[in-house]
Amino acid sequence: MVVEIGSGLIAVGAGLAVGLAGLGSGMAEGPIGAAAVGAIAEDEKNFGKGLIMTVIPETIVIFGLVMAILLWIKIPS
Amino acid sequence: MLLPEKMTKILIIGSKTRLEDSIDVLYKIEAVHPIDFSAEEEGFSLGAPLAEASEASQRLLRLRSFEKDLNVVDKPAAEMVDSSRIEREADEAINGLEAEITGIVESKSNIQNRIHELEANKKTLEPFLSLPLDIDSYKGYESLQVFTGMVQNDPKEVLRQALKEYELFQSAEGGFIAVFVAKAEAAEAQRVLIQQGFTEYPAPAGKGDPKAAMAAIDSEIGVQTKSLEEVAEKLVQLRKKHEHFILASDEFFSIEVEKAEFPLRVGTSDHAFVIDAWVPTKELPEVQKTIQEQLGDDVYVEVLETAPRRAHIHPEEAHAGVSEAHVVEVPPSKTSNRSPVNMFSFLTELISTPSYGEIDPTIIIAIFFPFFFGLMVGDIGYGIPFILLGILGLKKCASKEWRTIATMLFWGGIWATLLGLFLFGDLFGMPIGARWIAEPGYTLEQLKVMYPYGNELSWSSMTQTFLPNPGYLSKLNSVKLFLYITIWIGFLHLTIGYIVGIYNESIRHGFKHAFFHKVSWLMILVGGAFLLLYFVDLLILQSPVGLDDPRFLIGMVLIMPGIAISLVGEGATTILELPTVLSNVISYTRLAAIGMSKAGMALAFNMIAIEMIAPAGGFAIVAAMLVFFIGHLMIFILAVITAGIHGIRLHYVEQFQKFFSGGGLKFNPLKIVRKYTIER
Repeated sequence: MVVEIGSGLIAVGAGLAVGLAGLGSGMAEGPIGAAAVGAIAEDEKNFGKGLIMTVIPETIVIFGLVMAILLWIKIPS
Repeated sequence: MLLPEKMTKILIIGSKTRLEDSIDVLYKIEAVHPIDFSAEEEGFSLGAPLAEASEASQRLLRLRSFEKDLNVVDKPAAEMVDSSRIEREADEAINGLEAEITGIVESKSNIQNRIHELEANKKTLEPFLSLPLDIDSYKGYESLQVFTGMVQNDPKEVLRQALKEYELFQSAEGGFIAVFVAKAEAAEAQRVLIQQGFTEYPAPAGKGDPKAAMAAIDSEIGVQTKSLEEVAEKLVQLRKKHEHFILASDEFFSIEVEKAEFPLRVGTSDHAFVIDAWVPTKELPEVQKTIQEQLGDDVYVEVLETAPRRAHIHPEEAHAGVSEAHVVEVPPSKTSNRSPVNMFSFLTELISTPSYGEIDPTIIIAIFFPFFFGLMVGDIGYGIPFILLGILGLKKCASKEWRTIATMLFWGGIWATLLGLFLFGDLFGMPIGARWIAEPGYTLEQLKVMYPYGNELSWSSMTQTFLPNPGYLSKLNSVKLFLYITIWIGFLHLTIGYIVGIYNESIRHGFKHAFFHKVSWLMILVGGAFLLLYFVDLLILQSPVGLDDPRFLIGMVLIMPGIAISLVGEGATTILELPTVLSNVISYTRLAAIGMSKAGMALAFNMIAIEMIAPAGGFAIVAAMLVFFIGHLMIFILAVITAGIHGIRLHYVEQFQKFFSGGGLKFNPLKIVRKYTIER
């Protein structure tokens, strides 16, 4: 299968968009998750709040995903 | 039905002589949620426990100690014990049990102590086995000092240089020594030995050959262990004989104690008592009637008020400048869902108990959560095992957590099977029917002739039989459509969230408040949906649509006033909140993304097993089946975690934020749960 270099670069860009955004989300979620687990260990009622706080940075990776999809749509098939 | 049941506050006033009977009656009604007496009302103080409390607690204490001695654990009862029998026989039975058990438990602990002692002796004796001396030869000298212990370095040489007269015994490997030395030189000998890393091991008691002593100890340990087993067996027999009665009496006296201590939650004066309580409004006539019938004129029920749904100010917040007239106690929330919906109530409780003035969102979870789960899994090959696993879990599991997981697997499995069959047409990550991928230079008709069973890996191409394709959508080939569908699911889900939010706000704070805080956002969301339609046309399908397109106009007409209303109601935070609406909607694309990731993994395992390993034939077919099985098992297990967590998260994070405030007080009426006893 012959792929044009332009298409290849778009694909790499899409991969970077979602990959780096995922990394960012992970770095942000880690410490929040640790703190949330601590809070839940103190009082189980904190579960709901803890979960919500933990997943707030997940938006970042969703934006990455959207960018990746927008890029990927541009790849000529 | 969706809101927690209406509650009415009542005041039960009665003569103190009837307090005990009143408590019994209230426990029987099972619909009275008492409010703890706050010790502030004039003339009333906290009640004292009933007289029988202390006696019942003592019996309970003795029963619990039997339970510990006999290792009694909770288990389903074979038959119920009549509580009047326990009341009659308990004293005698407890005394009898005590006489029977105490002796055995005591002898058990004696034997255990003796075994520990023997084992300690054995440990002391062990190193002396390596020296050729009798045990009594280490002790009882007038002019000699004996050192026994372990050394790190061989002391032979240094002892010869330092001491005039001594005798040294060494174990075969040289680590354990006994040095006999005249008392005059003892200090010097000790100094030298310590330099060689000497640790003293005191000589054991007894006499004769250490080997014989060891044998004696071993045989006694044997005897003691045997009698320990006998005693343990006796205790097992006793447990079998009495556990049922012990558990039943434990329950009986626990109930007694709970009832007898109830006056601690009640206000009493010298001659009267008052109980504040919440009762579900629809059960109120029944409650009044029962109290009237059973207690007569000695107890009077005053109906105070039916709690309004409007927001309550919690008494703890009362200090912050709120006038006392507004302070109302929070009524408890009694949520009542019918069976299949009720199975999901744990998921709501996990976040918070719904408050009295809001819709219980369990029904939304019950509808959407299994659907999301099924959409993410979307494969018959996983769906059917999920259903079976769910049924098994619901039959076997008792704990709330596991039952909830089993419920999720069962209903989620049903959706996964349905969607797997009719939407995706997938079985273990492979399409069932033949599929053709476009190849340059050929039309679809030509491809269909060239590859009658499809040119893509499918059950049809693998079995070389033509199978029809039941699905409409391929997770990996129709990505754009799949993402587009999930965004619309997001719009629908969030719209429901805002509509419930509008309802909750209007019953709690009035429609004006709801209009400024929720209707505005609903307008923005729906406007956004119209804009999405427009932009899909403009950007993705590249249609020539201008700014006069009706979808664009309707979108803007909804969004702009929506923002304006929200700015009035909430101020500048609106600007900060706007992107969240967008990110919330986009968040639902995870439904597609997770479905795709599962399909991708399954495709990889299928290609490895079917296209790369299996064609070698012979043993390779077994290996391919193994790869296929392990790979799909892994995806299956991962699916529980990812689909389960992301499915519920879309409710908790995206949807509940639109309407759920929680923080309710769970309705917890006076009630007795009996497992081992019955009241006649």
